[in-house]
Amino acid sequence: MPEYRNCNGVTRRDCLRLGVGGLLGGTFVDALRLRGLAADDAPRATRPTSCILVWLDGGPTHYETFDPKPLAPSEIRGEFEPIATKVSGVHFSKHMRQLANIADKLAIVRSIRHHDPNHGGGNHYMMTGAPTRVPVGCGDFVSFHPSLGSVTAHERSAADGLPAYFSMPNMSRSGGPNFLGARYAPFVTGDNPNSTAFRVRDVALPQGLSEGRFQGRRDVRAAVDKMVRINDQAAGDPVRALDDYYAQGYNLVTSPAAQKAFDIHSEPPHVRDKYGRNTFGQRALLARRLVEAGVPFITLYEGGWDHHTDIFKSLDKRLPEFESSVAALIDDLDQRGMLETTLVVVLGEFGRTPKINKDVGRDHWASAMSVLFAGAGIPGGQVVGATDRNGYAASERVLSPENFASTIYRKLGIDPDKVLYTPDGRPVHIVSDPNPIAELFA
Amino acid sequence: MLPACSRFLKVIVAGFVWLGLTVCARAEGEPNDAVSFELDIVPILTRLGCNAGACHGKARGQNGFQLSLLGFYPDFDYAALTQEARGRRVAPSAPESSLLLKKAAGLVPHGGGKRMEPDGAHYDLLRRWIAQGLRRAQPGERVLEQVSVTPTDRTLAYHEQQPLVVMARYSDGSTRDVTGLAAFQSNESAIVAVDPAGVMQASMLPGEAAVMARYMGRIAVCNVIIPLPGSVSADLYEHLPRHNFIDGLVWNKLQSLGITPSMPAPESTWLRRVYVDIIGRLPNPDEIREYGADSSTDRRARVIERLLGRPEYADYWANKWADLLRPNPYRVGIKAVFNYDAWIRDAFRKNKPYDQFVRELVTAQGSTWHNGAVTLFRDRREPDEITTIVSQLFLGIRLECAKCHHHPFEKWGQEDFYGLAAYFSRIGHKGQGISAPISGGEEVFFTATGGSVKHPLTGEVLPPKPLFGEAPSGNAEEDPREGLARWLTSPDNSYFPRVIVNRVWADLMGRGIVEPIDDLRATNPPTNGPLLDALARTFVEQKFDLKKLIQTITSSYVYGLSSLPTERNVSDTRNYSRHYRQRLRGETLLDAVCDITQVAEPFSGVAPGSRAMEVWTHRTDSLFLDSFGRPDPNRDPPCERTGETTVVQVLHLMNSPGIHGKVASDTGRVARLAASEKSPRDIIGELYLLTYARLPADDEYAVGEKLFAESGVSRRQAVEDLLWALFNTPEFVFKD
Repeated sequence: MPEYRNCNGVTRRDCLRLGVGGLLGGTFVDALRLRGLAADDAPRATRPTSCILVWLDGGPTHYETFDPKPLAPSEIRGEFEPIATKVSGVHFSKHMRQLANIADKLAIVRSIRHHDPNHGGGNHYMMTGAPTRVPVGCGDFVSFHPSLGSVTAHERSAADGLPAYFSMPNMSRSGGPNFLGARYAPFVTGDNPNSTAFRVRDVALPQGLSEGRFQGRRDVRAAVDKMVRINDQAAGDPVRALDDYYAQGYNLVTSPAAQKAFDIHSEPPHVRDKYGRNTFGQRALLARRLVEAGVPFITLYEGGWDHHTDIFKSLDKRLPEFESSVAALIDDLDQRGMLETTLVVVLGEFGRTPKINKDVGRDHWASAMSVLFAGAGIPGGQVVGATDRNGYAASERVLSPENFASTIYRKLGIDPDKVLYTPDGRPVHIVSDPNPIAELFA
Repeated sequence: MLPACSRFLKVIVAGFVWLGLTVCARAEGEPNDAVSFELDIVPILTRLGCNAGACHGKARGQNGFQLSLLGFYPDFDYAALTQEARGRRVAPSAPESSLLLKKAAGLVPHGGGKRMEPDGAHYDLLRRWIAQGLRRAQPGERVLEQVSVTPTDRTLAYHEQQPLVVMARYSDGSTRDVTGLAAFQSNESAIVAVDPAGVMQASMLPGEAAVMARYMGRIAVCNVIIPLPGSVSADLYEHLPRHNFIDGLVWNKLQSLGITPSMPAPESTWLRRVYVDIIGRLPNPDEIREYGADSSTDRRARVIERLLGRPEYADYWANKWADLLRPNPYRVGIKAVFNYDAWIRDAFRKNKPYDQFVRELVTAQGSTWHNGAVTLFRDRREPDEITTIVSQLFLGIRLECAKCHHHPFEKWGQEDFYGLAAYFSRIGHKGQGISAPISGGEEVFFTATGGSVKHPLTGEVLPPKPLFGEAPSGNAEEDPREGLARWLTSPDNSYFPRVIVNRVWADLMGRGIVEPIDDLRATNPPTNGPLLDALARTFVEQKFDLKKLIQTITSSYVYGLSSLPTERNVSDTRNYSRHYRQRLRGETLLDAVCDITQVAEPFSGVAPGSRAMEVWTHRTDSLFLDSFGRPDPNRDPPCERTGETTVVQVLHLMNSPGIHGKVASDTGRVARLAASEKSPRDIIGELYLLTYARLPADDEYAVGEKLFAESGVSRRQAVEDLLWALFNTPEFVFKD
């Protein structure tokens, strides 16, 4: 029986010993990583790449984020001025200050476009790399193809019985497994990590249950579990799979390192501050901890980017906080030496209309959008592609959602040209156009 | 217009090339055997995998070269080879420089690799066809009429091999051995494998397999049986109990395989099984005691009868149908989904005959606010969307493939699909359509005066046509759907009852006689055809009464068998020689946890105290139900829920605050039991009855009593810990 300890019982001394003293501190998760590597008997020189996908649901504007058009007429360029970034000649919109400071680590793709300017279709196309088979409406939640996260969970697994695909605080519209089945659905962690009572659901002992008592329960369970297992493989006894999952579950609950990964409260206050003491910032921090623990795919879902009205006022409130959390995440990953093996992507389902509408908002626009990439060996300080002078449409190096999805899969070590089979035996390519965005590969 | 013109030009150019080069080819003095595109070339493309779904056969082709899937449309393939890519694919003047040959033989880089040898027969035939001038067809060319395989039935011993021979018969009466060009596939490759040359190889598992040989879209099947070695006396089968026709038909099958059935399951296992199967809940301790005290010979029959009369029956079985039919309320509106759910439940409450249920659904008219059944048409707004669900659910025919291309393992083509779709061509609707995410408006469906469905390739307007047999249409005023409903539910339609009896059988027995349960086709034969037919026949005779069907199945001796194998049936997972374990459905498990702890689960959108089985939409938040799998109402085509277990389920049972809260609740059963006067032994007995539907054995009592006696462990804590442990064992999570 290995030694185990619950995160509740971890003292400050433990924290120091484990090396979570500061943003620059060494990582306690090294221990976990080593353990994970030892477990599969195949030591690798580097950690396999993980992806943190920040999904801005509703479709974030490209004008007010990464593709300002200061020379466009006022009804198009809007109220925000561009600002210079760390990369000479590259400008962001005025609120993207922290990201501008680390622009040398970012690659902004300004030329992904598609033809589905409604939420249902756009969500599906960007989240799966496949267009919807039939036209769908704005309110539709559809699934015709497995999502990026589900395919990743199918092709890769996480250490220590951890789910391989997390989605916080909820699943994105088309973020499901489709034909891959329930095992590859996202593990949804809904609660607010900014709250002092926050716990990642189900992966740790319920509050109020001591470790000793849990151990006692395990013993009772072992004693009462009398159902006869049919050991002959040919009998296909489904109970045997349950046994494997219990072994995994116990491992997760009793592994101090894995438990630490979920314990956002053990993160030093100044780190938590830097990510921002808001739900998104703290989720980003938790995502980093999950990556450390070996989770390959995490979606951070952020709703409310459908700015049909009062776009400038809304963004004045929202963007500074949001972008500084993203910058803190990238910065932190970099300082911990994890950025090389972590892909950070920020996008929504499409961009927004050039002309500001009568309600001082911008509407849906699939002809142009900006997508932020960082990490995973992506050459930073670059802008890929461009929209035309007024930002109407991707005009240089025009790229598709398929190119986008293939890029993510390539970075995760998954061949986008691989054929998966539906339960009916129909062959389906992971992505129908397996060409990634070449500029993002050094 | 430009693309059309340029295509036209290409055709002309290709035509000139073709004319000029035929002469050259003749001059070269090729062998006289004229090569036929359709009879010789397309089969090679299929055999080499060029036109497979993962290669050039997929809808967008591969690297700009597209062939029809598995060669079902030779005209398309001919154009792709001879006219596209500026004619570089085939060069009659210098056949060896044709890309078709160079790529397939791996002489130039080819994404699909080397598919044939440059000195092989396939290469030679392709080269000759090119050299002969790319003839589309020979004058008076014979037509393929039939494909057969020899042998058609074969019994194999373990490890035995048997080659298949595939013969093609043509319109001129000639035949040809096409074994080398056919593709082979076994439906049970673990039992009988087949290699690309058509040699079958038996494994070391007794059972049956259907090995399919496919040549040019035609299919022939060889049925193979591998009996278990050793002999079982006929006497044994003779003396097995027979409660009804099911038992005899299962014993016949077992006898042919040399498999013997397991022992009957213990009474308590049978009781828990039949409760879960008929009403989706566990028996409570009083019911278990009452059954135990009943010594009459017909006590099982009376339990079945009583369960079929319980209100939970309707909710449980309606819930299963809701899985198949239920749309997303954010798309079609809350009221429409709510009414649809109510309509389904009402049908099961009234035990509406199944043919009537289907007829009312398929022909539904009226307002989404008054007739829940029309929500089917509100959700599936186009004829092609309705066609796939109707054919799959009610006929067990998967037509989805045939929407876009010929079904690769079946006879269905696009004309079949759109002919069936034409039955839905005159559905009129008025009122507020889909306006997601609320879609709150009312919509009314009626028979429109006009409307048609066209073949997507030819543009031809297709009249409504059934997939097989005859379906007389009514007068011009009649909604074509009425004719469809008559044909669907006609006693002559063997698919209709077979798919539903198979569905119910699979629910009760843990596996369909056909799997997947809604995929009836020659290449996916039932594991026990006579049984499936007899069940279907009985179901029709019993006037499509679902309760009688359930009664028939649960009354059989076979239904009551133990899941534990004998020496002679351990590897049987298809022939019902033992019961196959199933994980309880999410709703059943959650309701059981609530019943046992006596702490209700709060669901939104339903009356307080409602059970999970009564929730009318899959969009209700529930981490428990999400973890244990409920169908994704957004998925197309709609999926069955799967009974698989996952680590997420285990974590939820172990650690979720929801279950912990119920076990530790101050107002639940655990607290009451702990505070009661009952002895530890009685409490232990009660918990076992609640979770396992049986009393503990002596050693199990001992484990529990030891827990109660432990120092520093309160009575309350002991009850909580024991219940937690029982919840986390497979005996609770599974139906045994």
